[in-house]
Amino acid sequence: MAELAVERVTLRFGGLVVLDDVSLAVERGELCALIGPNGAGKTSVFNCISGLYRPASGRIRFQGHDLVGMKPHAVAQRGVARTFQHGELFPHLTVVENLLVGRHTRFRTNIVGETLFSRRVRAQEVEHRRVTEEILDFVELGRHRHTTVAELPFGMQKLVGFARALALEPQLLLLDEPSAGLNRDEREDLARFILRIKHELGIPMIWIEHDMQMVADLADRIFVLDYGRPLAEGTPAQVLNDPRVIAAYLGQAAA
Amino acid sequence: MPFASGYFRTSYARELRLVDTRAQAASLTVFLAALGAFPFVASSFLLDLANQFFLASIGAVALMLLTGYAGQVSLGHAGLLAAGAFTVGILVKEANAPFWVTLPAAAGVGALLGVVFGLPSLRLRGLYLAVSTLALYFVVHYVGSEYETERGFSTGIIVDPPALGPLVVSDARAWYFVLLAAAAATVVLALNLLRSRSGRAWRAIRDHETVAEALGIGVPAYKLAAFVVSSMLTAVAGALFAYYRGFVSIEAFSLFLSIQYVAMVIIGGMGSILGALLGAAFVTLFPYAIEALIEVLPTPERYANLVFAVNYAAFGLVMVAFLLFEPEGLVGIWRRVRDWFVLWPFRQRPLAGTK
Repeated sequence: MAELAVERVTLRFGGLVVLDDVSLAVERGELCALIGPNGAGKTSVFNCISGLYRPASGRIRFQGHDLVGMKPHAVAQRGVARTFQHGELFPHLTVVENLLVGRHTRFRTNIVGETLFSRRVRAQEVEHRRVTEEILDFVELGRHRHTTVAELPFGMQKLVGFARALALEPQLLLLDEPSAGLNRDEREDLARFILRIKHELGIPMIWIEHDMQMVADLADRIFVLDYGRPLAEGTPAQVLNDPRVIAAYLGQAAA
Repeated sequence: MPFASGYFRTSYARELRLVDTRAQAASLTVFLAALGAFPFVASSFLLDLANQFFLASIGAVALMLLTGYAGQVSLGHAGLLAAGAFTVGILVKEANAPFWVTLPAAAGVGALLGVVFGLPSLRLRGLYLAVSTLALYFVVHYVGSEYETERGFSTGIIVDPPALGPLVVSDARAWYFVLLAAAAATVVLALNLLRSRSGRAWRAIRDHETVAEALGIGVPAYKLAAFVVSSMLTAVAGALFAYYRGFVSIEAFSLFLSIQYVAMVIIGGMGSILGALLGAAFVTLFPYAIEALIEVLPTPERYANLVFAVNYAAFGLVMVAFLLFEPEGLVGIWRRVRDWFVLWPFRQRPLAGTK
């Protein structure tokens, strides 16, 4: 059974049909790319999964539970973590603090203990601080740990967003254009991190991406959306040579 | 390390410390000693000023948590102070309740009102939220004044000085230590919250509410928690104010008081506990400074009846000036001055094009 199964999801804003009968499934340890021209509804799929949008019909099953109708924070507590297209970090917090916010659901403290900074709270803070350091090692951001995020260049901010999602210890990772705005070196680093997550942690990932070379090189499977409708699905070789996909991206004549 | 070539943190626990380096500990000790010695050398006027500052700083820190950290605007602060003060007044008048009953009761009333004040924040934001807290302020104000007139205390309620067993806190010096302890406890409590999960969740909500929610933070619960914590502290400050003045009257809790607390947070510098304290000191001392300035004029008696008007006008001007020219507030000025001394004889200039 698939780890995540989006089943016949339709999303409407008033009369506008944003997603029309979209289905996709991701297995454990699988890296699935979600591609499509601008406005195809890729991010809307993520917003439906993470509970920010509520689809008009359809089901989203994750590890046997239906996510539709759950509040975003409840979805995150189930282990669904995501990154955002523009980073969307907490600019006034340091890198470590951003990651600790990512670990919010893993803390076992209450506000009364926190006001007194009890021994338990202190122990938890130290423990989670240690874990953030492991994640910082993983994404090679250790030297910026105490930098306020607003002071970091954009590429590094996106990497912090990636690390913040990892900090949640996710069971499913939704990556929304993680490579957009990154230079070549940063992209290569990112590709390495994504592959390491896949091979070492086995976390299933859905990955929205516009860099077709990167998709062709890394993805196990590709879903293509066009105007909110599923257009094609399959291995990179199948999908990227599909005349319908080429037409959607480059126009009818090119196909 | 006897020959350490610098200052190093060697454990994560050290990163959590409120007082980290030896220099910080030393200066804190000196500062506390000075605070302890102050009432034995200060005049009764200065002592009263210090007490007013301590009371204001509790309210300012409480509002800073709510507005400066959790990002929720409130114009109802005077209503919460009034609620605390009236809880004391009513319990003392009606039930002759002692200090150790009225203070927790005030905190309880504050917590309850915090939920009420906070509920609109689940739907409203910014200006709309401010207006809804303003409406709630008027409700509290109305209830207070109704109580006064219905029970025939139209001039106010007299509250006897609190007794802790045989110890009666009545003279200014005793009050100084009580209020200092209360203010210090508030600061420590606020700093504790800010270095743990709730404080980070509040700042995350302030910066990006949707993202905070997508990362697993139950935004409504944390917004309400911010209102409850802030309101409890404020109500306790109101209760202490009632005991300190020995008198409760709704006239002391005008809308201008709410504005003054907002001013403390803005003038002090958003998102800084030190800023809340600096702002509280500034706003507390400001009217006295204006008065002293007018005294210096050649014929002060001619302006005597203008003092209030000048005070209000100058206060407004200062607030606008801070918003325009120093959005980081007093704490921003403090940081610049500190950096200047740290870097001296070198000078730091912002790179061209940044800010």
